Amino acid sequence: MKILTNATNAVDSKVNARRQIVYELISGGTGLALALFMFGHVVLVGSILTGERGFDWMATMLEDYYIAQPTIAAIFALFIVHAIVASRKIPAQLDERRRMIALAKGLKNAGRDKVPSRRDNSPFVPHLESMLWIWQVRTGMVMLVLGSFHLVLLGMDIFTPLFGDHAGIESSTSLARVAAGLWLPYGILLLCVEFHASVGLYRLAVKWGSGFLPHRRHLHRIEQVIFWVVLGLGAITLLVLAGVLSPPLEFLLSEGAS
Amino acid sequence: MSDKENAAARRLRFEIFRFNPEDPNSEPHIDVFEIDERPYMTLYMALNEIRETLDSGLQFDFACRSAICGSCGMMVNGRPSLGCRTLTADLPETIRLHPLPAFKLIGDLSVDTGTWFREMAERTEAWIHEQQPFNKDATEERMSDDIAQAIYEGDRCIECGCCVASCGVANVNPDFLAAAGLNRVSRFMMDPRDKRDDADWFEVVAGQQGVFGCVGLMACADVCPKELPLLEVYAYLRRRILGSKFLSDRSDPPPDINT
Repeated sequence: MKILTNATNAVDSKVNARRQIVYELISGGTGLALALFMFGHVVLVGSILTGERGFDWMATMLEDYYIAQPTIAAIFALFIVHAIVASRKIPAQLDERRRMIALAKGLKNAGRDKVPSRRDNSPFVPHLESMLWIWQVRTGMVMLVLGSFHLVLLGMDIFTPLFGDHAGIESSTSLARVAAGLWLPYGILLLCVEFHASVGLYRLAVKWGSGFLPHRRHLHRIEQVIFWVVLGLGAITLLVLAGVLSPPLEFLLSEGAS
Repeated sequence: MSDKENAAARRLRFEIFRFNPEDPNSEPHIDVFEIDERPYMTLYMALNEIRETLDSGLQFDFACRSAICGSCGMMVNGRPSLGCRTLTADLPETIRLHPLPAFKLIGDLSVDTGTWFREMAERTEAWIHEQQPFNKDATEERMSDDIAQAIYEGDRCIECGCCVASCGVANVNPDFLAAAGLNRVSRFMMDPRDKRDDADWFEVVAGQQGVFGCVGLMACADVCPKELPLLEVYAYLRRRILGSKFLSDRSDPPPDINT
């Protein structure tokens, strides 16, 4: 079989093909790992819902048993690798991106207008997934900036106690930071992360599992449920951190308090 | 029928892309035509009416008018569709028609899908590869019903090019095989009469122009007028290539860079 190659890319096509599989596996694998971590992350930060004591207990426990330090290093590495490998499919030229966006918008808008005579089984139904991918690229770019900032900030919190007398992640610091204005970048980051992760999981499931996983319609529904549930949990957590909301689960820990 | 009444009452406004690449004086522009909607009108009927009564120079392709020849693919309000299979009743009063992107434009709504599909067929060598010389006296090999059905499902492709036109990757990378090409490949991969093994398929399926060039936009499956199971085809190719080739064939001799 003939493979189209040009002079600058005169690499054996078998090597090239094998490389493509490795890229695909790395981008899918790191994406899956990061998405699953982010759902766990919601639970960890969600400890603030039980009040400052719960949050500090969680933070101290993760730091004292040296769980937090390797985890944040691994997540940072996965984050960078995923950004490098997953971005390989973003067209390099702006004109190519414009072409893809125009196509995706056309597919999304076809069938959106109300037409009284349209049949129930009309093929003119909006197609969303192309536009979802473009938003994954956009949210990915935002996360590259805000996520790096967050990882560096928390990395400093986690690693400085190993060298100095800093106390690690503390509820008082976190609450003060978020209330002072970090709620805005964290809010944007939360939205981007949950959107990117849930759509990414959906796409991954369709790409590899079509045929034996549930039908794509159901996978899309599951994706939406995951998105809204995790976004809701995250939003409540963020509001508590910003001091707008008092911890709703504080009673769990306060009853046993001495 | 409320359908009929609605249809009869509307006046349709067609905004049609016009450009003749053969004519040096031709500039790409949009022409507007208005006609009355009739019951059960398809774009095929509407375009013929426009050509008969309003503009005899309008170029578009039709042959079978029953969704089997695959020549009337066009962008209808931004979505690739077959003109013969698209009822105006499903569309708003303003209907924008463009030629399919990703193919060479012949003129107005007419594109050359044939060259693309021929090139694809040559690249994938889309015919049965039989190692043994043909023996006319031998009995035909049996094939299980399931495989026969699966192959038939892939063979229902009419090569209209809608999937290629809807594919973000095919629109920016002309080498990408797209759903039509990969559907063809999978049809021969499933066929027990084809003696090519996964090693033969590996480069064409796994490379950037094959299934791992796909971004996963899923538009191909949504626009396919024949409702082919394209996502299933892609997933099948991904799993098969990963399972059979990558894991088992790491000890290949180093490739010759000069070939």
